[in-house]
Amino acid sequence: MTPTLLGRWQTRLLLMETVGLVITLLFCGGFFGNEENAIFFWLLQYIVVFGLGWDYLYIQIQNFRWDQDWPAALQWLAALWEGLFLILLREVAAIELPGTEDWDSGLFIVHYSFVWIAIFITSQSLMRLIFPRWRFRGGQWL
Amino acid sequence: MSTIPGQIRLSWQDPVTGEQKNPLLTCPIAFGREFARMPADLQGQRVARIVLNSSQVSRYHTLIEWVQGHIQVTDQNSSNGTWVNGVLQPSCNVSSGDLIKIGPYEIALMFTLDGRGLPTAEASEQSIIQVPEPEAAAEPDATPVNVLPPAFQAHQVGVQDLYATQLPIEEIDYLAVGAGLGSFIWVNFLRIFGAAPQQIRALGIADRPYARYQRLCLNSQIPPHERLRSNSDSCPDNIWGWPGYALREAWHEFNKGKTKAAWHYLWQVFAEPTFAQTYTPRAGNVFASIDREAVRIGWPQIYRFGRVRAIRQTNDGRYAIAYSPGRRQTAFVIARHVHLATGYPVLQFLPDLKAYREQTRDFKSVVNAYEDHNHVYETLERQGGTVILRGRGIVASRIIQRLHEARHRNPHISILHLMRSPKPQGNRFGKAQRLVDNHFEFQPFNWPKACWGGTLREVLEQATPDQRTNLLADWGGTTTADRLDWKQLVQTGLDQGWYQITFGEVTRVVPNAQARPTTYIQEQGPRGEIQLEADFIIDATGLDSKVKTSPLLNDLVTHYNLPLNPAGRLAVTNDFELLEMRNQQGRMYGAGAITFGGPYAAVDSFLGLQYTALQAVDGLVAARAPNLHRLNGLNSLRQWLKWAQNQAP
Ligand SMILES: Cc1cc2nc3c(=O)[nH]c(=O)nc-3n(C[C@H](O)[C@H](O)[C@H](O)COP(=O)(O)OP(=O)(O)OC[C@H]3O[C@@H](n4cnc5c(N)ncnc54)[C@H](O)[C@@H]3O)c2cc1C
Repeated sequence: MTPTLLGRWQTRLLLMETVGLVITLLFCGGFFGNEENAIFFWLLQYIVVFGLGWDYLYIQIQNFRWDQDWPAALQWLAALWEGLFLILLREVAAIELPGTEDWDSGLFIVHYSFVWIAIFITSQSLMRLIFPRWRFRGGQWL
Repeated sequence: MSTIPGQIRLSWQDPVTGEQKNPLLTCPIAFGREFARMPADLQGQRVARIVLNSSQVSRYHTLIEWVQGHIQVTDQNSSNGTWVNGVLQPSCNVSSGDLIKIGPYEIALMFTLDGRGLPTAEASEQSIIQVPEPEAAAEPDATPVNVLPPAFQAHQVGVQDLYATQLPIEEIDYLAVGAGLGSFIWVNFLRIFGAAPQQIRALGIADRPYARYQRLCLNSQIPPHERLRSNSDSCPDNIWGWPGYALREAWHEFNKGKTKAAWHYLWQVFAEPTFAQTYTPRAGNVFASIDREAVRIGWPQIYRFGRVRAIRQTNDGRYAIAYSPGRRQTAFVIARHVHLATGYPVLQFLPDLKAYREQTRDFKSVVNAYEDHNHVYETLERQGGTVILRGRGIVASRIIQRLHEARHRNPHISILHLMRSPKPQGNRFGKAQRLVDNHFEFQPFNWPKACWGGTLREVLEQATPDQRTNLLADWGGTTTADRLDWKQLVQTGLDQGWYQITFGEVTRVVPNAQARPTTYIQEQGPRGEIQLEADFIIDATGLDSKVKTSPLLNDLVTHYNLPLNPAGRLAVTNDFELLEMRNQQGRMYGAGAITFGGPYAAVDSFLGLQYTALQAVDGLVAARAPNLHRLNGLNSLRQWLKWAQNQAP
């Protein structure tokens, strides 16, 4: 991947609010044997919002790379960090974001992993098939 | 030739185009990025001002002067400094053969303090030869434009005048000139966007779109099992780039039970280039995939043999193309929309090697890496010998690999790699720097990756023509792929002594008493001139695609007074249209190396050809060209499913 900032934002918003949302709603509805809870929906929105900020940081890091690229391996490391950040926020800094009163680290990890893997696979395949210009526009699909 | 003191022959390779520049100038000589910022004269002497395009070069960077019997180089407080023979120098005296580095420019200085003769160097435009063609397609190069009917003299050709010639004429919507990979990819987009095979014609001299490319690959030592230099998603057979070649190869290996190999390819595309060596597809797999796609889109119906002679606008908003379908025959195609992708017309030769070939008529000892030179390896395998290799790009790496293989048959083969200068550090751009090892500069592909579809693509597209030249100089230059096997080869060769690197500026190449080529080089430092004997010299410095080297393009540019870009190639818009050729509804587009130097760096690559084709076909959709519909969303997915099932679009 060789994303641009706008491309990162557009792809994040689209994938999170489609593929990510479908999976999240399943979690909200208790589809995986968990209790019904809207917390997953709120968590998804926090991932998106914080992510817009992280994307800005990633673009700065990218500037240090000669190829100005972002290999899949770095996408995974970044995703790991973004998930960890929410856990640290709650478990270490003890900050309770509105809507996340029923926090459970274990469930969060499961939910987050599902969302992220689904998004990664979609971005590696279906995105290219639906948006033939996407890969040339640094991830912009609009 | 006698010279006056203070006269210097500068010589460098242009980092944007790879062209050799050899001006003879008199001191003082100033270098900088902006002509107006350099002094026009110093102490009453006119200054020769040389503009070097790069953001790494300051507006006024360096001055060379003749001071009390010495040539002195002085940095003008530039941001990135002036390097003399690899050392940062604020000011110093230099000797002939020294090399100064200013940003990405490496400039060799040749002079004599006593005013004796300076070695002559030929102008670069003479240093080219035609790309050899297979026997079948070759034809006496008889007066291409003269055989054309008088109607072609006009600015716009009357369609009736063409019919009056009673020569064969075909009218069509879309015409691809070249029928190589660029044409094939454009036609692929047209077909998938809705055009029917009978609306499209491709004119060229080989029925397989990759014929010429394959020949250049074979000549430059890329056999079918070897890997190319493009990524997994650069699929000339698939406009979406999915599934890429890595996934396909992994799948294939998996089915053969080779799980380890399969995982290896997947790991490569996952972690490249940071944690794994970049995946590149095998040449043979790419050709096989193109064969399949060619049948799917009806290429055999679309292709016609024909050597294109000239292109004109018609008086009804179309284009008339005159071509030879065979010896001494002429026919015409009249098309509404035309796409030019004629590739590289010529091989670029180093001036001294070209001179050697011309003087000696010996085309066997001194060869270009892109021409057929298998006799070199065959002879070496039989008799052993020494090869001088010039150029340090990817082709040089492949030749070292091939010579290494030859050494298995005959260990008495040695390689002398002649480089103009050491390479202590790589190009810099912004906060990043390119990797260097053993004087080779590394990069996965021929441009930084983001040039294809990332930040750098955007930057270049938005830049002015001048800024574009700067950026291309910063990103360009000669690089090779960061392949572990090649790095190891070079290191082993250096350790065992059969591979050596020598630095210096070649002054001349002449035959010795045994008619073997002897290279005289001016070494940096005190050693002065030394001579190197070899059985063969291989020039791996490059190909040229300047418009004036192609008779067809040259005629077009002259006839319509078309603008060229700063690199001397066709000027195109951001969607690769030759705007000045627009003719009412008619549109003309360009692709490939002939458009290099414009809005997109990687024009000469599979993925770049796909990008340019996409831009051009989107432009045609906007111009309401017949039967084309914008491809996006579910429509795109539907077309992909057809691709997956190998059904016609
Ligand atoms: C050795 C080598 C290795 C490369 N490796 C890679 C790689 O690994 N990955 C990558 O992405 N890119 C690679 N490239 C770059 C690029 O993809 C190829 O050069 C590609 O072939 C360019 O396509 P093209 O259509 O511009 O030129 P070509 O494929 O050469 O097609 C041009 C065609 O036009 C024809 N033609 C020219 N003039 C006329 C005329 N007047 N009438 C009729 N026909 C005419 C020629 O005969 C030729 O068949 C490589 C290039 C070279 C030389």
